[in-house]
Amino acid sequence: MKGLRKFILKKILWFFITLIVAVFLNFILPRLMPSDPVATITSKMAEGLTDTAAVQRIYEHYQKEFGTDKPIMVQFFIYVKNLLHGDMGTSFSQYPRSVASILSSAIGWTIALQLPAILVGWFLGNFFGAVAAYKRKGWDKIFMPISIFISNIPAFGFAVIMLVVFAVKLKIAPTSGGYAYDMIPNFSWKFIKSVLYHYQLPFWTIVITTIGGQAIGMRSMSIYELNADYVKYSRFLGIKDRKVVKYVFRNAMLPQITGLALSMATMIGGNLVAEMIFSYPGIGSQIYAGITTSDYPLISGSTLIITIMVLIMTTLLDLICGIIDPRVKAAQFDS
Amino acid sequence: MGKVMIEVKDLKTKYVTRNHEDVYAVDGVSFKIEEGKSLGVAGESGCGKSTLALSVMGYYFAPLHYMSGDIIIDGKSISGMDPDEVRKHVLGTEIAYIPQAAMNALNPTQKVINFLYDVVHAHHPKMPKKDIREMAEKRFEELALPKDVLDRYSVELSGGMKQRTVIAVSTILSPKVLIADEPSSALDVTSQKLVIKMMRELMEKGYIKSMMFITHELPLLYNVTDDIMVMYAGQIVEKGTAKELVFDPTHPYSHALMGSILVPEEGTRGKKLPALPGTPPNLKHPPAGCRFAARCPYATQECKFYQVPVKEFGEGRMYRCLKGIDELKEAYSHE
Repeated sequence: MKGLRKFILKKILWFFITLIVAVFLNFILPRLMPSDPVATITSKMAEGLTDTAAVQRIYEHYQKEFGTDKPIMVQFFIYVKNLLHGDMGTSFSQYPRSVASILSSAIGWTIALQLPAILVGWFLGNFFGAVAAYKRKGWDKIFMPISIFISNIPAFGFAVIMLVVFAVKLKIAPTSGGYAYDMIPNFSWKFIKSVLYHYQLPFWTIVITTIGGQAIGMRSMSIYELNADYVKYSRFLGIKDRKVVKYVFRNAMLPQITGLALSMATMIGGNLVAEMIFSYPGIGSQIYAGITTSDYPLISGSTLIITIMVLIMTTLLDLICGIIDPRVKAAQFDS
Repeated sequence: MGKVMIEVKDLKTKYVTRNHEDVYAVDGVSFKIEEGKSLGVAGESGCGKSTLALSVMGYYFAPLHYMSGDIIIDGKSISGMDPDEVRKHVLGTEIAYIPQAAMNALNPTQKVINFLYDVVHAHHPKMPKKDIREMAEKRFEELALPKDVLDRYSVELSGGMKQRTVIAVSTILSPKVLIADEPSSALDVTSQKLVIKMMRELMEKGYIKSMMFITHELPLLYNVTDDIMVMYAGQIVEKGTAKELVFDPTHPYSHALMGSILVPEEGTRGKKLPALPGTPPNLKHPPAGCRFAARCPYATQECKFYQVPVKEFGEGRMYRCLKGIDELKEAYSHE
């Protein structure tokens, strides 16, 4: 069991190394944007003021509050120090709300939308891929082209199509939001119904765009495994097909779990854009708001949350894979 | 004469290619193996040895198809039986198979013992796992395999160990006939010896009642089996005891095969072995006359067009050639 502990520790170490790099990039990238958010706020605050000295004073006040007057490296260390206290700064655009409070109200929506949707899409994709591999013939011929087609449509593109068809033309789904705009979030049945109603379009958009790619991967893995020597051997010993298929799909699933871990980041990124299109009250919409107003703290905060979420998922899946696949286990534990 | 364990009468099977062409891979093969005896099948690659093994098991799936002939195992005919029935009642219990590529014959993500549970449960669904384990441990011990192999994954075993494990797993239900398709061809000499020793033990202890051993290594056949038959292009060209075939081959093809063995002794270094030019004929369009005629150094015009009869001689020997025995012996003596 010493090997197992070493394996887990190694994964956790990598988790932290990646996290540090991510924090740095999350900090630096939004700040490279060529605009001055403090000037934007100042002009908003100083509306109607004609006294240049007063405007200058307001500008300097905000500069001090946001810390933009200090050199960027100093800003970074202040940022990290605050981060360790759970303080992600104050939003520029939604001043004086703190980024932490904005995100804490948004993250629930994102997780509740993306996690089930990705998992459902992943399971359905693997299921269809496995069936396509096992049945071949007609099923495969219809299913594969559709999968290839759908897997190449990005989530945001598909979101627009869904929106036009179901919300605009057919009018059976709302065009935007996470719940009816005239409601205040509470736990009444009416509110929950409204949430579920608004949930459908974004949810199915993500599910459908996830299915295609997963199905293609699972299909080829399954075909490979179905032709493996152990399948023939098991059959020649009289083991029933039902059992053999179980071996095959278990083995074909293992790379799919790794695949899920690898594509998690891309998927969530793409899905965030879909969130924006549906104006879903999640982190995607907040990132969009942040980018349009050069709101560094909000962008950094949002991307940091997403990064941490993806990192945790990836590390978990890696660990799971290492523990359930004896081949990975052997390779990892020996070294 | 012992009890006949397996008798095959004029068995014909074919492959159907993608373009719906028939390839007659096993063409009128007959043989029988008595209790406690073993039969070797020799021949170069592509002459139908492995196909014969698959055909004899009675479990046909595309592209291999049964055409005609009879397979009788211990008095019961299995030819024409439904594949699912064969799988349930014949494979594993009556006939067991050791595949050519035993390296990958075990599911990489399954412990050996779990696979054994599945094998036994396929035929005795109610047998408790505890009993199966006991049985397996006892059998492994008798075959000089370490017991802890049972709790390992196949990736953790060495090549030779894997092969011996496969043999033990195949014969766990004490089948009447064991078909070994080149069980030792991928192993080094030491592992080969262990494998052969194990197969002998299985026979001596009565865990298998008869054996068909397929290989291209003739010296091995001479050491392991009682009888040998030589296969060429889907047909049996000669049959006899191991000693007769190795030291006194009749058919020109057998003669050529035996001539290609190098016995390491003084002066053999740098010696050129007689090689038979050409390859076996394409069985989509088998030659009208003798199938070996195109490569046979003694062939005449007649050989190419006349059907070749099977000639029996001596004690249960046979060969398939137009020429008489004396004529052939005479020709060989001039070499």
